Amino acid sequence: MGIANLQSIGLVIDILAAAILVTAFLIVSSRNLVFYIRLFAIQSLLLGVVALLVVVGYGEMHILIAAILTIVIKAVAIPLVLTKIIERIQVQKEIDFSINITVSLLLCGGMVILADSVAQSILSVQRPDIPAVSRVLSVSIAMMLIGLFVMMTRKKALTQIIGLLTMENGVFLSGLSITYGMPLIVEVGIFFDILVAVLILGVFIFRINKTFDSISIDLLRSLRH
Amino acid sequence: MSTVLFTLLLGLPIAGTVLCALLRGRKPLEVVTVVGSGLTLCSGVWMMWKVITEGVVSSPQGWWYADGLSAYIILIVSGSAFVVALYSTGYLRRQIRNKKVDDQQLWLYYLLINVFLFTMMLVLLSNNLGFLWIGTEATTLATAFLVAFYERESSIEAAWKYVILCSVGITLALFGIILTYFSALHVVHVSGNALLWSSLIQVAKELDPGVLKLAFIFVLVGFGTKAGLAPMHTWKPDAYSEAPAPISALMAAGLVNMALYALMRFSILVNRAVGEGFTSTLFMIFGLASMAVATPFILAQRDFKRLLAYSSVEHAGIIVFALGIGSPLALFGALLHLLNNAIAKILLFLTVGNVQMAYDSKIMRKVTGAIKVVPVSATFLMIGVFALSGWPPFGMFISELTIISAGFSSGAVVQVIAFIAILATIFGGFIYYTSKMVLGEPSAAAKGGDAGKWSLVLIGLLLLALLVLGVSIPPPLKMCIECAVNVFKG
Amino acid sequence: MTEIAPFIAVSLLQLVMIVILAPLVTGIVKKTKARFQRRRGASVLQPYYDLAKLFKKEVVIPPVSSWLFRFTPYLAFSSTLVIALLVPTVVAPVPLHWMGDIITVIYLFALVRFFVALVGLDTGSAFGGLGSSREMSIASIVEPAMMLAIFSAAGTAGSTNLSVIVQKLSTTPEAMLNPAHLLAFSGLFIVTLAETGRVPVDNPATHLELTMIHEAMILEYSGRYLAFIEWASQMKLAIFLALLSNIFFPVGIATVLTPWAVGIGVLAFLFKIGVLSLVVAAVESTNAKLRLFRVPELLMVAFILSLLALILYFIIGS
Repeated sequence: MGIANLQSIGLVIDILAAAILVTAFLIVSSRNLVFYIRLFAIQSLLLGVVALLVVVGYGEMHILIAAILTIVIKAVAIPLVLTKIIERIQVQKEIDFSINITVSLLLCGGMVILADSVAQSILSVQRPDIPAVSRVLSVSIAMMLIGLFVMMTRKKALTQIIGLLTMENGVFLSGLSITYGMPLIVEVGIFFDILVAVLILGVFIFRINKTFDSISIDLLRSLRH
Repeated sequence: MSTVLFTLLLGLPIAGTVLCALLRGRKPLEVVTVVGSGLTLCSGVWMMWKVITEGVVSSPQGWWYADGLSAYIILIVSGSAFVVALYSTGYLRRQIRNKKVDDQQLWLYYLLINVFLFTMMLVLLSNNLGFLWIGTEATTLATAFLVAFYERESSIEAAWKYVILCSVGITLALFGIILTYFSALHVVHVSGNALLWSSLIQVAKELDPGVLKLAFIFVLVGFGTKAGLAPMHTWKPDAYSEAPAPISALMAAGLVNMALYALMRFSILVNRAVGEGFTSTLFMIFGLASMAVATPFILAQRDFKRLLAYSSVEHAGIIVFALGIGSPLALFGALLHLLNNAIAKILLFLTVGNVQMAYDSKIMRKVTGAIKVVPVSATFLMIGVFALSGWPPFGMFISELTIISAGFSSGAVVQVIAFIAILATIFGGFIYYTSKMVLGEPSAAAKGGDAGKWSLVLIGLLLLALLVLGVSIPPPLKMCIECAVNVFKG
Repeated sequence: MTEIAPFIAVSLLQLVMIVILAPLVTGIVKKTKARFQRRRGASVLQPYYDLAKLFKKEVVIPPVSSWLFRFTPYLAFSSTLVIALLVPTVVAPVPLHWMGDIITVIYLFALVRFFVALVGLDTGSAFGGLGSSREMSIASIVEPAMMLAIFSAAGTAGSTNLSVIVQKLSTTPEAMLNPAHLLAFSGLFIVTLAETGRVPVDNPATHLELTMIHEAMILEYSGRYLAFIEWASQMKLAIFLALLSNIFFPVGIATVLTPWAVGIGVLAFLFKIGVLSLVVAAVESTNAKLRLFRVPELLMVAFILSLLALILYFIIGS
């Protein structure tokens, strides 16, 4: 691959990473459950494209399967499952927060700064073989923090799943950025785990809905201390 | 030869799962599970013997690995699984008789218990850090439906919290593993090997210390969530109290130890790379914090199984604290405590399970006069609580004493004093509540009917084991633990 | 001395581009919105006719108002005129570039906003005060967002002077695809919608209490005062579109004063402004106006996008 080609691939990856971060922020800024799921699908799709670009640009073939899995499982299958769940249990599509949107967005902005300083401290190990994609590390750490934030401050069970999956996306992206992804078997195993986790959580949502007639986490408070 | 061992240890639970999936009917499922876990235990013993005589055992491609540490933990975990499988037969038969459980659920139980055992073996045997991760998340998934077994409102809530919290934690741990992989990539020349513990430990000194420290923090939080260290422990009380008693027992004895094993593995690597001070400080902080956080909850508990869950948090804290002290004596104490804790927890959970079934209630207020309703179980309960609180002549006293003296001799005096203070407080709370449960007049909720003869014998044997451990440590056990301690010091 | 002629010519060209074309831009936006609603809509030149009509009409002044009421329309128009002279449209650098940079521009806009808000209070009507308070609360988030968005572009160019920014960026086309720039563009776009009172922030076509912000403040104006205020708002829209197109996509802008380059510059500018007005109209037609207390959320998104742009600029570099 010529140098110019690598540079343009690097540029596209940068743009996609910024777009992924924007989707994370849009998730924080939104009230609509269906929108959450769509944003997550877009986010995973962009992530898959980034992985494909890493394959194409840097010749790391083992990520190809992981990239395809990302697109198929996270961008298509899981959003389908989640949408089906919403249709089946007919929840109220508005989400309640414990921290309102304006403050949430500001906090997440702060988290991006924090993520960047953490990433810088990791990348300060100056080595010749660090992938050029390592700039994207800050975005991935930010996504982990934002996913965690969404899980803690949004009150619907489904949003906790999306927060968890956003965190997973962040970790996958961090793997891509500093190591070109882990060995294939490990990545496949991780995907399998995630898929099963979502399915299990989905079953739980059905059961929660049956017993509580809603999926607000507020009601899951009967077990105290 | 090593391949056979690994195949056995991994394959037996898989075979158990497959067979359980295909079979129906109570008896075949029971037989498969008990025999399967029993054979796994035998393989574990064999593995331990091999490690003691020949040193490290590893598979040809390098994916599987067993040294003194993992062999010891495998012994404990497979032993716990076997005991729980044995007890489960009696337990589930009674539940079916009481119409609490139907055949479909019974099948699911045995199936999932086999899967659970497999995932734990996966974690304990893998040389590949990625597999370690996959196995740990898999244990969460395997036990999810076991926690939600009884399908009450509270069970689903507990299972939800459990899956979400553990998955969050383990995702953070994955990031830590990625960082570890990253730090090793430029040193280990075959990229696939950079995730293998055996390769990493050899090049430990060349790994970047800053990155490794950061990685360890993430790993500590992640696997600490699984072990139930504070402040990531909040899923434990709910999950332990909602799951069926044998499952809670296996989680308290198996899962906790497996998670602590993962922490130990990483700490060995990090200690080799950056010296012991870093992990030591973190371990002591989390250890003492877990003990301190558990104390008020133990003193204010109304549900006995939640009490045991907080006790599990406390003991995980004790073990981690001992890891923090780090001297060979402290490590010996920690590993011994692992064993004692496992036996005591299984003992108490199973006993409480009996009492619960007799009263059909978990809330302690409603349970009084157990000594009259279920005399044997109640006696075991009382004695068991003494054992758990660290009274001589039971095993826990010895292991805690070892840790205390190790702490004093390595100079961590202030921390050890805090340690002792917390232990004393918890001790008081336990005794108070248990005596309320056991003594006095039987409450109206008593239905009577203790567990079957063999289940009681099993529990009695566990109690006996604790007693033996409190008097003296059998030489074979001593050899196993010393073999494990040697792994730490390399 | 020989510099004076091109100097004046370019400045006049700037004025024409913004001042004269501003009503046309508004006209295009209105027409496109009408098309979206399947109406034919008024002609794109309608705003010109409206302005002409207003200049001929009688002025009615509320008795309770002060000198502010009569002063502000002239202030608004002239301030916006000055801004028009500072923002590069066809040529960069503009002749008067030494007069001010982006901060000057923001403060000039703030000046206009301040006085118009005061007028809203000055008229003594409830609507006016309502509009003023809403406008100010929106401004508190919008102004930082605008600054941050342009700062990330300024970082690349190494100066906050608009002409310098546009010049530097026009010579390095790859910089346009910098993710920081794209984020800043999105942030500034939302800011544009907020500053010029477009849907989903404010509805310029209604005079209902629920939906007015800008219109509420100027409700009492009539005749030539209203004409000046309206014209100033239209110029504001044109200026923002010019900022959006020239800071982030300075393609075709003339850096030398040859007739050929200037000609291309004019065509490029018209094209970009045209496209952007279509985009604005499309956004307006496909979104509902936000409830008032949801507006800060949208603005916070703009703020965050701009903040992210700045952060990414530091992470990824220029």
